[in-house]
Amino acid sequence: MSRFLVDRDGETHLRLAEGMELTKNQAVLAAVGLVALLIVPDITRFTPLSFTAIHRGILFGLAAVGLNLLLRHTELVSFGHAAFFGVGAYAAAVLASQFDVSSGLLMLLGSVLAATAISVLIGYFVAGYLDIYFALLTLAFNQVLYAFVLQSGYFNYSDGLNVRPDGLNPPALFGLQLSSTGYELVLYYLTVVVLVVSLLVMWKLVNSPFGRALDAIGQNRTRARFVGIPVEKYVWVAFVISGIYGGLAGGLFALLQLHVSPEPTLYAFVSGEILFMAILGGFGTLVGPVIGGVVLVYLLVQAPFYIEYYNALTGLMLLAVVLFLPEGILGSIPKIGTGLSRRRRDPGLLREDVATIGSSLRRGVSRAATTVRIIVFGVN
Amino acid sequence: MTTEPLAGTESNGIDRRTLLKTVGGSALAVALAGCTELLEGEQESAADADVPDEPIESGLQTFTEGAPSVLGIQAEYGAETAVRRINENGGIAGREMNLDVVEEGGAYLTNYQQFVDEGKDVTFGPISSSGHAEMVPEIEAQEVINVSTDGTVTTLYEEDFPDVTYSFRFQNHDVMEALAAVNQAVEVLGADSIDTYAGINPNYAFGQDEMNLFSQGIEKLTGAEQVYSGFPDLGTSDMSTHITEINGEAPDVVFSSCWGGDATLLLEQGHANDMFDNTELLVGTVLYGSANDMEEDLVDGPIYSGSRNFYWGEPSTDRWSPAADLVDEVQSEYGVVPTAHFMSGYGAVTAWATAAEKAVSLLGRWPEQEELAMVLENHGFFTPAGYHTMGSDHQGYSNAHFGELTWSDEHDAAALQDVNVFAAKNVSPPPGEISSDWIGSW
Amino acid sequence: MLEHVLNGLYYGSILFMIASGMTIIFGVLGILNLAHGELYALGAFSAFSIIGFVAGQVAAPTGPVTAIVFGVVVLAGSLATAAVLLPVGGALEAAFIRPIYDRDEVYQLLLTYGLLLVLTDVMKFVWGPSPVDLGVFGGINEIPTTELVGIDYPSYNVFVILIGIAVFAWLVWFFDRTKTGRIVRATAINREMSTAIGISTDRMFTLVFAIGAFFAGFGGAMVSIGPGSASLGMGLDWLVLSFVVIVIGGLGSLNGAFVGSMLVGVSSRVVTPYYPQLELAVPFLLMVLVLLLKPEGLYGAWGEIQ
Repeated sequence: MSRFLVDRDGETHLRLAEGMELTKNQAVLAAVGLVALLIVPDITRFTPLSFTAIHRGILFGLAAVGLNLLLRHTELVSFGHAAFFGVGAYAAAVLASQFDVSSGLLMLLGSVLAATAISVLIGYFVAGYLDIYFALLTLAFNQVLYAFVLQSGYFNYSDGLNVRPDGLNPPALFGLQLSSTGYELVLYYLTVVVLVVSLLVMWKLVNSPFGRALDAIGQNRTRARFVGIPVEKYVWVAFVISGIYGGLAGGLFALLQLHVSPEPTLYAFVSGEILFMAILGGFGTLVGPVIGGVVLVYLLVQAPFYIEYYNALTGLMLLAVVLFLPEGILGSIPKIGTGLSRRRRDPGLLREDVATIGSSLRRGVSRAATTVRIIVFGVN
Repeated sequence: MTTEPLAGTESNGIDRRTLLKTVGGSALAVALAGCTELLEGEQESAADADVPDEPIESGLQTFTEGAPSVLGIQAEYGAETAVRRINENGGIAGREMNLDVVEEGGAYLTNYQQFVDEGKDVTFGPISSSGHAEMVPEIEAQEVINVSTDGTVTTLYEEDFPDVTYSFRFQNHDVMEALAAVNQAVEVLGADSIDTYAGINPNYAFGQDEMNLFSQGIEKLTGAEQVYSGFPDLGTSDMSTHITEINGEAPDVVFSSCWGGDATLLLEQGHANDMFDNTELLVGTVLYGSANDMEEDLVDGPIYSGSRNFYWGEPSTDRWSPAADLVDEVQSEYGVVPTAHFMSGYGAVTAWATAAEKAVSLLGRWPEQEELAMVLENHGFFTPAGYHTMGSDHQGYSNAHFGELTWSDEHDAAALQDVNVFAAKNVSPPPGEISSDWIGSW
Repeated sequence: MLEHVLNGLYYGSILFMIASGMTIIFGVLGILNLAHGELYALGAFSAFSIIGFVAGQVAAPTGPVTAIVFGVVVLAGSLATAAVLLPVGGALEAAFIRPIYDRDEVYQLLLTYGLLLVLTDVMKFVWGPSPVDLGVFGGINEIPTTELVGIDYPSYNVFVILIGIAVFAWLVWFFDRTKTGRIVRATAINREMSTAIGISTDRMFTLVFAIGAFFAGFGGAMVSIGPGSASLGMGLDWLVLSFVVIVIGGLGSLNGAFVGSMLVGVSSRVVTPYYPQLELAVPFLLMVLVLLLKPEGLYGAWGEIQ
């Protein structure tokens, strides 16, 4: 076996670094994913798919990857991640519009610093809380920030700030003042690099002793404390890391949209969306949140162009995920894969699937009907 | 030609050639001005120009649902009506026009980008002022003309983007209606009797812009003092706090730029809390935008409303048949009376369509975006609201309307009476000048 | 100042009708119902149709007596509207919520968020995309109330405050004094035990969800007959504010929801004229303050009805 290939349980694994290994299938999927990421600009040129919508989805997905550190490992539900996303976006916008910073990378640095600061602060207050209290407390901090920005002249109220240092043109990237198309393309590849590096860092992190400690905290705080893990401190650190991902995503979002206003970046429902992206894509996986981000953003942005009842479309999809694909899109791929191959061998199973879904729908309807009957007529 | 456009149309005192010359020379321009019956047998002028066959693709973003749709759907009706009239009259230089409509809420940039991706020849909208400000640099980068229906914050073209090429705005900007409100208040009460004023405005750039300009204007003209200024959240469910404060201060004049559901809420809670016993006058710039959602009892009291660049009953419909025809068409098609926001949509489409046709007849072919943008600058055209110009600053200039809120049994909707018509030059600075400097120089 | 306080109580009463349902649903079912704001919106829209119909059967008020008749008819219509939400709430619980009681709370959030989106479009389908206004507000204000004691304040606001108190009283009575209410509380405290003594927890949960929907719908009807109108998306702000209220009061606590609603209502109304920039932030600052000082909320119930 070479340095990069190791044998585990009779299967060949691709080994990238200590603790970072992929099975053959995973390696293939990862390679396909990477190639897909790289050719997105070309695909969108020849298909009606929207380049900006995918780009934007990846950014939100990056924020969801950060949130997933808390959700998957410490089992904490953050309902306030828009705080970091928004702070990151606003940091870039403030640098561009109030301090005439013209370098996009400098703005990103600003985003990361601002998000770090705010997540250190919020994390300090919330690290000791659990369950729904953690969710609601993060939501509260999020909304306080939102209300503060909305009322503040410095941030130009609900109108927000332009991310155009000279008032008209996008910031410079790598010292280059690019045309609109060139800018979008360079920014996209910058996003891809940031995403891949962020994923690798996250991967390394969750497989480190620190990551395992977070898992232990998630399973049982008392036991974790007993074995000597400084629980609050570790949660705080995880919270800050997770916030940095959000800030980075927000900064890139500012560079993409070139305008930042409170509602699309800081409102509580943006927090909800980031959370739901993680679940939709599969929060038991590393990359799932990115896929969830692309899918959900794409639905939210594009569906209004095609159907009148776009909210219902998104809503039904989320219901279907909860009821039929609890592991999310990516998390269900192995199951779907084996399921498909079994069905290829035995097409009869397909009929059973339809029957299962049908009967579960029927059960739901009949439960609802019975309930209505009881409430309306009062009969048992 | 400003207050009584084409007053002679009914009396046969104007011949067809004069009319055509007046409205811009083409059959389309006449149709959009609402005077088609004068066109029987007229030849298509640009028919031999070299234009592509495929239809024009256009997109409109507006508020199609929820509370702000009170204004947004009117704009949609207006744009649709203009497009319908264009197609019924043979299109623009022979090209049919298609219009896609999409909800604008929170998606201004992505909507515009999507429209451009889909290859739209022109885009219209949005209603939101913050959305518009967000879009302007993107429009300049993508180089596809957008004629904004509203998004009327004064500073947009005066200070933030003084030099634009592809971004236009049809509807009157805030300074015009805020100063029309000042003039209206002075006319009703007299400058000497206005000592105090207050404001209730939605808490975002639009509301702040309007209040700011009204304050400057009224202080300049009357020396009045501001006693209260409240900014409830846009789309709020309760304004009682602000109304209670107004009742406590009892100002001579209350100014409001509340619109949509906020406008009806202000009137409802104002009546319930006897606000109109505690102030001499309410001047609201966009109250009439909610004309179709008002009950008869709401219009009681000293309430005056602006109606931007279009009020359907001015000039009186028995003297001005294009407006009368439009009201009939809108009532039968949509079951509402058209408000100023109807004209926002209608006029934005008309501005572009008439300019496009003018460009075709100048060039003998379909214009490029940049050429069309040049023609749109200083372009003059008619709608049933009268005459409009697109200024060199890309801001539309038309008459501003203000009148007393009343009830029309005939249309079962709120109406305005004793409508004052303010020429653009009396309520806004010439293009290139900053509004607050201009007011300061009075 | 008195009027500002009254304004706050009025606002708080509406808030309570929405938040009370959220808190009992959380207290008994353990579900944070993100679709609750849409049930309130559904109430507002239904009120437009139902009250619009019944109010159309009586003449518009011309004097105090006819105004009272009119008010009674509108109140009956509001109750009928809320009653419609009973089977709707029950059916939603039975069809969608029941299968996910044992799942992670993130799924419960996702599912109720999905319901939120679907319900929005159901209302768009039935009532159209534009706001609808019932237009009975003026009539209700014809009923003499505060004039009788020599102050000038809208009768509608007075009624809403009284109804808010009545709803609170009824809920307290129901959970404290009735057999069913006690059974519900017992179920909330220990599901297994209740099942063991022959209580159908399914039934209880459906009942609680339906009651929550009833009061959300009642709150919606109150707003619809008031100065506002029913519009798509009207539930979102109230939903977020309801979170604030039930956290301040203590999750699952009825007393807490009542005190929290009034606290949020009064403080935001009283602060606004003096510090206008705090109008939006006040409720959230209160919430952060309470969570940091007394994380279990003012009435710290930790998920049991009290």
